[in-house]
Formats: sequence, structure tokens, C-alpha cells
Amino acid sequence: MRGSRAEIALSLGVLALGIAVAAVTATLPSEGGYAGIGPNFIPAVVAAGIILLGLWLSFEAFGGGWRNRAEQTEVFEASPFLWISAGLFAHMALIGWAGFVIAGTVLFACVARGFGSTRFFRDSIIGLVLALGVFFFFVKLLNVNLPAGWLSPLLGGAGI
Amino acid sequence: MDALNALLAGFGVALQPMNLMWGFIGVTLGTFVGVLPGVGPALTVAMLLPLTVKLDPTGALIMFAGIYYGAMFGGSTTTILLNTPGESASIATALEGNRMAKAGRAGPALATSAIGSFVAGTLATIALTLLAPLVVDLALKFGPAEYFALMVFAFITVSAVLGSSTVRGLTSLFLGLYLGLIGIDSQTGQARFAFGVPELLDGVDVVVLAVGLFAVGEALYVAAYQSRLSGTLEKVSGSILMSAADWKRSWPAWLRATAIGFPFGTIPAGGSEIPTFLSYATEKKLTKHPEEFGKGAIEGVAGPEAANNAAATGVLVPLLTLGIPTSATAAILLGAFQNYGLQPGPLLFDSQKDLVWGLIASLYVGNIILLVLNLPLIGIWVKVLQIPKDLLYAGILVFATLGAYSLHQSWVDLATLYVFGLLGFAMRRWDIPVGPAVIGLILGPLAETQFRRALSISQGDASVFFTQPISAAFLALTAALIVVPFVVRHWGRLRRRRA
Repeated sequence: MRGSRAEIALSLGVLALGIAVAAVTATLPSEGGYAGIGPNFIPAVVAAGIILLGLWLSFEAFGGGWRNRAEQTEVFEASPFLWISAGLFAHMALIGWAGFVIAGTVLFACVARGFGSTRFFRDSIIGLVLALGVFFFFVKLLNVNLPAGWLSPLLGGAGI
Repeated sequence: MDALNALLAGFGVALQPMNLMWGFIGVTLGTFVGVLPGVGPALTVAMLLPLTVKLDPTGALIMFAGIYYGAMFGGSTTTILLNTPGESASIATALEGNRMAKAGRAGPALATSAIGSFVAGTLATIALTLLAPLVVDLALKFGPAEYFALMVFAFITVSAVLGSSTVRGLTSLFLGLYLGLIGIDSQTGQARFAFGVPELLDGVDVVVLAVGLFAVGEALYVAAYQSRLSGTLEKVSGSILMSAADWKRSWPAWLRATAIGFPFGTIPAGGSEIPTFLSYATEKKLTKHPEEFGKGAIEGVAGPEAANNAAATGVLVPLLTLGIPTSATAAILLGAFQNYGLQPGPLLFDSQKDLVWGLIASLYVGNIILLVLNLPLIGIWVKVLQIPKDLLYAGILVFATLGAYSLHQSWVDLATLYVFGLLGFAMRRWDIPVGPAVIGLILGPLAETQFRRALSISQGDASVFFTQPISAAFLALTAALIVVPFVVRHWGRLRRRRA
């Protein structure tokens, strides 16, 4: 009996990562002064370890599945996963340009939508209030620099 | 007596009004975030780390000690009232605590948990005060070879020995070790695995990894498998005071649990999970009311909760004296030290006396704040528990991304965060532990440094790790930990086949 397709894919993924790490390690210099080993030595050990673990996982996956794995019967729902991902990507794109407050509001609304909320307007308002609060707390009180973006005429710079 | 003087000086630091205030804020925030369902102590500490960037190291670390304790306590409140243990250390509490709450005895359950945490935390801090100088004396005799061997030992115990699968634990550890290699090599200045991305030259930040795995990964997981979550919030009705009988049954449990929890915390055995279960089993065995177990026996809450706190304090012994984190939360605390250019270890007790002893003194203070703050404020924590899931996770992710972005003001860190989120999702889904990865990331570079230092001193002679007695002993112990269970299992299988 074989393990699930996901187990096989993950096992092979670990193996591939090990090989990739080994390939990059081969380009690192090896001269090491007194120690006799250079900056490539530990990466080589880690690469070897990941490759061995990839083989071990594959061995288990092809031979009856991973051992002692917690059973899971719930069904994966793609839409919440995609909403949260979309929120994070939008945030990534917006933060440097539109600013922290707008990016945070969009992220908040998207994640809430991913968790099944249908009250988009309410979520946006709560997100906006939260993001504004966080912005003022960090920028004005803690002097941590966050981008004000489009709202900079309203929000002003750091410091009270 | 030296330790006592140092501790008194430490109180001088911890009781300064500003530091007292940071401790107070830390405990409050730690409890607040720790109460949130799905947010464990590791994530709490990681999410609140950005708050301290502009503080002086003493104030920041005192605040962190408060967050650490607050997060522990907040987690147990959630477990008792909601029965969704966010972390393995709370499972034992859930067994009896939630039953008590269901039976209308939420108040005494929360009280024994809070007072037990205080008693265990304070006793464990006394033990820490007495033990730390001894370990420091010992650690001063350690050279790089000894440190390296000790770190290898810690790697194996946290990844291979605990948990459901050796191979998956080790896979998580090696992922962390690999991530720790990214960036500039501290010995030669060689850039490794940075692929020309400037943000990667600084290395992978522990906050991004921890928040990615614990917050983004968890949010993706919970959202995609929603049907899984169905907790009902128990009400806190009636008195929160413990009756005389409750006291009588709780006292011995607290003390026994402290004796179990503290030693387990100090050795690299993965933090609080084992001692909480040991304490639960002990109380179940010794109780005069065995019929109540499984239906809400107060010893079953008092013991594990006290053990949890004692172990959490015990974890600080190797962290402060040796610089070795033995739990994911401790690894993040070590990251907080490193942000200030401080490396915990025996030398820190010498060079930063005020800071270290101020921190230890603030643990005493933090325990008191925790006690006076939490029981009166229980109504607020219950309100926090009522935040609906959609708004809760949305808020968590706003904070998670803030922590990552504030590192370099760059979207690259946000992209890294998302990648770790996907990784955390996969690890959660296919039962790969995440703790070893966080420990590997932080401890890996330190182990590499010690390894290369040891070889530099021995002029490249690798036998140094086996000829130094302490180092050889740790490595032999490590080998035994891997080989013995393997042999036992196969031997058993062989015998069964023959029979």
C-alpha cells in the first residue's frame, strides 16, 4: 500500500530541496583558515541531512504511508484559502505605495471574508479603525516608521 | 551570597517605575494576546516583539518576561473556558479544566490555575536564582567543543525524541537549520543562499519564521478546514473563589507539579509538554477522589497548570546561562536578545549583570502582577474570548504582517512571510512539528560558530569533539537517544515474529 499523493509529493519536495541546497553549496568557497573547513562545510552537512530525510520520508510514503500521522477527514475548501492569500498579496502590493492603513484595511477585509464573513462594509470599517489605531500607536508613540502612503496629508509624519 | 546581592541589585532595576511599567504592560498584553484562541505563547511573543524596537534592552526584556508569563496564563484561561488547547502543554489542563467549567465551576478552575501559576512560578524563580550561578560557573569551563556537543544534544531531543515521528521532527529541524544558513557567514563574510536579494543578507528573521508558521499558516489552515473548529464558550458564573476543600486539594498538587516541572524545563526536553502530562498522571494516581477525574477534578487543573509555569521558568535556565533555547518560545526570546546584540550565556552574567539580574527580579514581580491582574480582570478576558473568529484572524494577520514589514520596510519580508505561511499550513496539515524549525533557525548558526571555533583551536583536528570528556559525554548521550529507541523497537518486533 502507498501513502497519499500529498505525502509522496512532500517527500520528493524535501529530497529536491536537499539536492538544490547541495547544488548551491557546491558553488561556495571552501578555504577555511585554521579550522580547515570553510563556509561550505556546514551547508554540505545540512544538504546531506535534508537529502537523507527526503529519502527516508519517500521510503515511508511509498511503503504504506508516513508513520503515526494524525488522521484527518475534513475537506479542504479552496475559497477561504484563496481569499486570505489574495489579502496578503494585495497587502504586499499596496503597503509601500498606498500606505500601511489602506493595505491593512484591505488585508483585514479579505481575511474576514475568507473566514466566512459576508459583511464587507462592517469588516472594512473595523479594519480601518484597527489599522489607524495601530498606525498612530507605532508611528506616533513608538517612533516606528510605517508608510503613510496616500493618506500622508492626513496622517502626517512620525512623532507627535 | 553573591547571587543574593546580585538579585537585590536586580530588584533595584526591576522596581524602577519605568521598568515596573514595562513589566505591567508586558503581562497585560501577553495575557490579552495569549487569551486569543489559536494564539499560543510562541506566537504571542513573536507578534509583540516589534513593540520593543525602540526600548532600551533592560526595559524590553523585562517587558518580554511579562509577555512570556502572561501568554502562558492567557492560554490556560482559553483552554478552561473554550476547550481548544492551542498548544500541547495545555492539553492536560483541558482534560479537567474544561469539565469543571462545564459543571459550573469555571471560577475555581481559573483561580487554582492562577494561584498555582503564581506559586509554581515564584518557587521556580527561586530555584532559577539559586541554580543559575552554579550553571554559569560550570558553563565558564565550557569551550566551543562542549557548546557544540550540547547544542547537538538539544537539537536531537527537541526534534527526534519528542513528537509522533522522528523523521518528521528531524525534517523540521533541518529546514530550520537550512534557513539559518541564509545570509552572511559570520566567520568569513561569505554570502550564502541569499541569491542577490539584499533583504536575505541579514538572514531569516525569527519573527518572520515564527509568525509565518504560527499565524499565517494557522489562519490558512483554520480557514480551509473550518468544519473542524467548534468550541463552545463556557460561562464564568458564581464565585471565582476557591472553597477550603479546593485549597486543601490544590496545595499539594501545586508543590508536586513545581518539583516535576522545573527540572524538566531546565533540560532540553521540549518545554512543558511532558511535565504537564506527568503531573496530571501523578495527581490522578495520588488523589483521594479518583471518581472525579474525567469529570472535573481540581487537582487535575492545579497540577498541570503549575507544572506548565514551573517548566516555563525552568526553560530560562539554559536560555540565560548557556544561551540554548529548548522551546520555540525560548528561541524567539533568544532572538529578542540578539536584536540588542546580546548573546545570553555565562559571560552575560558578568558583562550585563544589571540586565540579567533585573530580568530575574522582574520574574518575581511579573508573577505578582499576573496574580493581582488576572483574577479581577477575568471578565475582560472572557470578553476577549467572544471576539468572532473572522475578526480575530483578520486582526492577527494585520499584526503579523506589521512585524515582518517593520524589519526592513520591504515587501520582500512580506513575501517571505507568505512562503512560511504556506510551509506552516503544509506542516500543520501533514503533521510535521514546527517547533524544531524555529529552534534550528536560531540555534543552527550558533552551533556552526562553535563548531568552526573548536576546529580552529584544534587546527582542524576533528577528534577534539570526542577526546574532551564533557563533549564526548554529550555526543554519546545524543547517539544513545537515537539508537536505543530504534533498537528497542526492532528487537521487540523480531521477538514477536519468532514467538
